[in-house]
Amino acid sequence: MSKVDNIMDLIDVGIRAEALRQKAIANNIANLETPGYRRIDIKFEELLDRCLRSSEEFDLSEVEAQIYCPKQTPVKSNGNDVNFEAEIGQMIKNSLRHKAYIRLLSKMYKQIDLAIDIK
Amino acid sequence: MEVESSFGPIDVAISGLRAQGKQMKVISSNIANARTADAGNGEPYRRLQAEFETDDDLGGVKVYKIVTDMSDFLRILDPGNPMADQDGYVDMPNVSLPVEMINMNIASKMYQANVAVLKRYQQIIENTLELLR
Repeated sequence: MSKVDNIMDLIDVGIRAEALRQKAIANNIANLETPGYRRIDIKFEELLDRCLRSSEEFDLSEVEAQIYCPKQTPVKSNGNDVNFEAEIGQMIKNSLRHKAYIRLLSKMYKQIDLAIDIK
Repeated sequence: MEVESSFGPIDVAISGLRAQGKQMKVISSNIANARTADAGNGEPYRRLQAEFETDDDLGGVKVYKIVTDMSDFLRILDPGNPMADQDGYVDMPNVSLPVEMINMNIASKMYQANVAVLKRYQQIIENTLELLR
């Protein structure tokens, strides 16, 4: 039996993480040419995975996406490490994940709707 | 646990975009320096060339090094040039504009091809998500 009994909560934290990641990507693209800027990313899947694997009880609402600075990409001559193409790729992946979450959520609502409609 | 292996093709296409972008940079450097008789080391500019490499299996492509073309310099007759030798010849970079233009065409077509893959794969995933409606 999964520790997550409310799928809605799971979708909720997912959507919030995607929204935050979208902000981070927008921030990276806005600072494409800012000298000394290091790109930021969101740590969420790892945290969720760790929570779901751990044997202890946990509260899903406490699983919060974190902003961090990976500092792994090569730095350009102006001290900036944002790569435009890489950010576009992140954005496409992000929007696809977002779409999946939204679809799942609307499916859930449809099921509830169906249950209410039974006469 | 592999969290999102289904987004692999996106990463591969993006690696193609990045590699071709770098290739364009190398080509534009060659064209910009096509008449640089002194590249700072007393020698004319030497043509650069980006070498591609597979980024471990199915990991896409990357430019693993940029090598200098060691072929002979072009010698042109220009007696008025202060850098001319006794016979009036000046060494010019070994850049050939037609070659650079063709390479640029290839690079931009490759970039477009990778964008096409990216768009198509996005469409495929969106079609899959349609099933979830």
